[in-house]
Amino acid sequence: MVSRVFTLLLAGLISLTAVQAADIEGTIVIKRRLTKRRVTTPANSYDRGVSVTLRPDVEMDPLAMERSHVVIYLEGQLASTPVVATLGQENRRFVPETLVVPVGSTVSFPNNDPIFHNVFSLSNSKSFDLGNYPKGHTRTVTFTKPGIVFVNCHLHPNMSAAIVVSPNQWATKADGAGHFKLSDVPPGKYTAVAWHKTAGFFRETVTVSESHDGLVQFVIPLEAEDSGKEMARR
Amino acid sequence: MRFATRSFLWSFVPFTLLLLGSFWTIQMLVQSAVRDGIRSSLRQTHVSIAHVRTKSELQNSQFLRTLGENASLKAGVQLLTSEPNRAEARLTVQDQLREICASLDVDFLLVSNADGVALAGVMRVGDQLVAMDIARIRPPQRGFLTVGDRAYQVVSTPIDQGEENIGTLAVGERFDFSEFTTPAVLAHNGKVLKSSIPGIPAEEVEAALKSCSEHAECEVRLRGETYISLPMQSIYFGEGYVLRSLQSVDSASHPVQAILRNVFVLAGVGALLLAVVLGVLSSRSIVKPIAAVVSRLHESEKTGLLPEFHPELAPIQEIRELTESFNRAGCAIREGRENLHHAYVEFVKSLAGALDARDRYTAGHSRRVSELSCALAQAMNLNAEEVEEIRIGALLHDIGKIGIADSVLQKPGRLTKEEMALIQQHPRIGRTILEGVRGFQSYLPVVELHHEDWNGTGYPLGLRGEAIPLAARIVHLADAYDAMTSDRPYRRGMSGEQATGIIKENAGTQFDPAIVLTFLALGVPAQEAALASTARDVRTLLDVGEIEPARGRQLLH
Repeated sequence: MVSRVFTLLLAGLISLTAVQAADIEGTIVIKRRLTKRRVTTPANSYDRGVSVTLRPDVEMDPLAMERSHVVIYLEGQLASTPVVATLGQENRRFVPETLVVPVGSTVSFPNNDPIFHNVFSLSNSKSFDLGNYPKGHTRTVTFTKPGIVFVNCHLHPNMSAAIVVSPNQWATKADGAGHFKLSDVPPGKYTAVAWHKTAGFFRETVTVSESHDGLVQFVIPLEAEDSGKEMARR
Repeated sequence: MRFATRSFLWSFVPFTLLLLGSFWTIQMLVQSAVRDGIRSSLRQTHVSIAHVRTKSELQNSQFLRTLGENASLKAGVQLLTSEPNRAEARLTVQDQLREICASLDVDFLLVSNADGVALAGVMRVGDQLVAMDIARIRPPQRGFLTVGDRAYQVVSTPIDQGEENIGTLAVGERFDFSEFTTPAVLAHNGKVLKSSIPGIPAEEVEAALKSCSEHAECEVRLRGETYISLPMQSIYFGEGYVLRSLQSVDSASHPVQAILRNVFVLAGVGALLLAVVLGVLSSRSIVKPIAAVVSRLHESEKTGLLPEFHPELAPIQEIRELTESFNRAGCAIREGRENLHHAYVEFVKSLAGALDARDRYTAGHSRRVSELSCALAQAMNLNAEEVEEIRIGALLHDIGKIGIADSVLQKPGRLTKEEMALIQQHPRIGRTILEGVRGFQSYLPVVELHHEDWNGTGYPLGLRGEAIPLAARIVHLADAYDAMTSDRPYRRGMSGEQATGIIKENAGTQFDPAIVLTFLALGVPAQEAALASTARDVRTLLDVGEIEPARGRQLLH
């Protein structure tokens, strides 16, 4: 929280001093649940012998959960700085379940559970199978094409994660309140894309000038037919 | 034993035997009916259980096939096959199995590889699903599996990858007897694994079942109760496993037998009462007339008489016959008595005859005295019994003369004083002779006292007047008359009139005047005179035996 305030302050200072770049800020509005999420018991149950049962997640406000799983990125061939990210496996869940990386990034998949896991993907942009491996082992994958990559585990069908490989470095996830911010966007006219696993893609045009931040609001879902179209396109 | 007791026993004992016999028979019938019922109900239960099972097994097999196609499980089995010694790999599969267990609510899951070696398994213990120690477990294709003290019913399904079999999944449910409405026992090679007979530990059941052959119905005794045990044969439970259902014969037949017992106790009490009543009534109907007969007999015992019974009084044929035969017997006895008496009389007569025959002159004396005495008695209106008494008493009146020497008795001429005293002994001698003879008691007064005089000058006792019995007085007169009218060696007999005159003179001194009056009224001498000539001749002829007695009697009357 402190660091986030600090970053905001820093960004504000930068925008005041150097006006050649501005931010895109926006909100995600989700008014109803889109996902019927079921999670496994987070506790370490393997040794105790209690069965690992799926149950509704009650830890988080469901709408905040939906909002925090929305990924926003800008379309277009822009600058991209690859990163090294981690998608771990803990308590039979992928952590995090939604990951955003710019194209060219490398993701590591460490197994932190006392049991074997298997990581594979059959997505169009990247398909791979990292095989079964136990605790303490990890495998890495480099994503060279933008797109949505769904990751699963052969051994545990209920485990799934989505890696959004964005075409450029301007990509982020909304927070629980639905706020998001893409910093230091060069002035121009952009198509901002919001993606939700169940609801699909939503596009809004946003203009960023040197003196003005771009503001955008996504209302998810749209009409049924639009969302259907988006689902089809995916 | 009294007749009532007897008749009670005769009616009650057969009743009791009949009741007991029928009670026993019915009990046996009930028992066998109950047995049959239990058998058929056990069989019925088995059939329906088998039916339900086949149905559920069909569903289960479809469900199991789906379970065998579980992709993640396949991946797990492949992982475990490729990494057989990695604990994490086993843990992974156990975790998968736990999840399946929890979602399907089964109690036992076990995967084994293509060779049948167990790889990993979990089972439900309490509310936990714990990993199994798989070292010694080799699950059957289907049937029972015992892990520790738990018995599971296991079904298996193959796990295939493509065309290759990579393993087997065994799904088990903890076996319980919920399907059985009766107690049941699960045994493996004779060892009882599980028993649902309440209150009886498995070891006892095991011992009781030892005698049963594995696949046959049998009867066992447990804690004094008989059970019918039927092995379930329509379902195969695996090598050595037998599932038996049991049912208690006793508890099934108990209510019926209780009712039966009540009925029979009621019937028994009823029969007892009936027997008592019938016994009392029947014995009374028989005893009463018999008692009447007996009391009459008691009476006759006292009186010495044999009265006649009136058979019409007895309502029962047998009793009537009894009284009739009593009557006949009484009759015969009376007749016998009379005969005996008659014989006595005849004997006495002959005795008297013998006495008379000692002396030609006294021949017929006793008879004549008797006849005259009878005539007098009849004239005095004595009854027949008294007349008879007099008749015989008169016949015997001089019997005592047997004891007196002929020299004295037949001495012609006057007797000396001593000889007279001797003669006067004869009434006493007569009494002594006849005293010993039973039935002659009534003649003793005549014999002893026929020489007593009215005025008390007679012998032997010197009685007077009314103190002398009437019979003796009568015979005294008749004796005197005959003596006077009879011839003696030393004199001829006087005529009737003369003798009558002497008697008349002696009335009131020697003779009872009343009898003398009767004698006079009888007019004996006149009759005698008319008869004398012929009678005397006939008598003489009779006595010497020259004419037949019948003819003689004819002539005399």
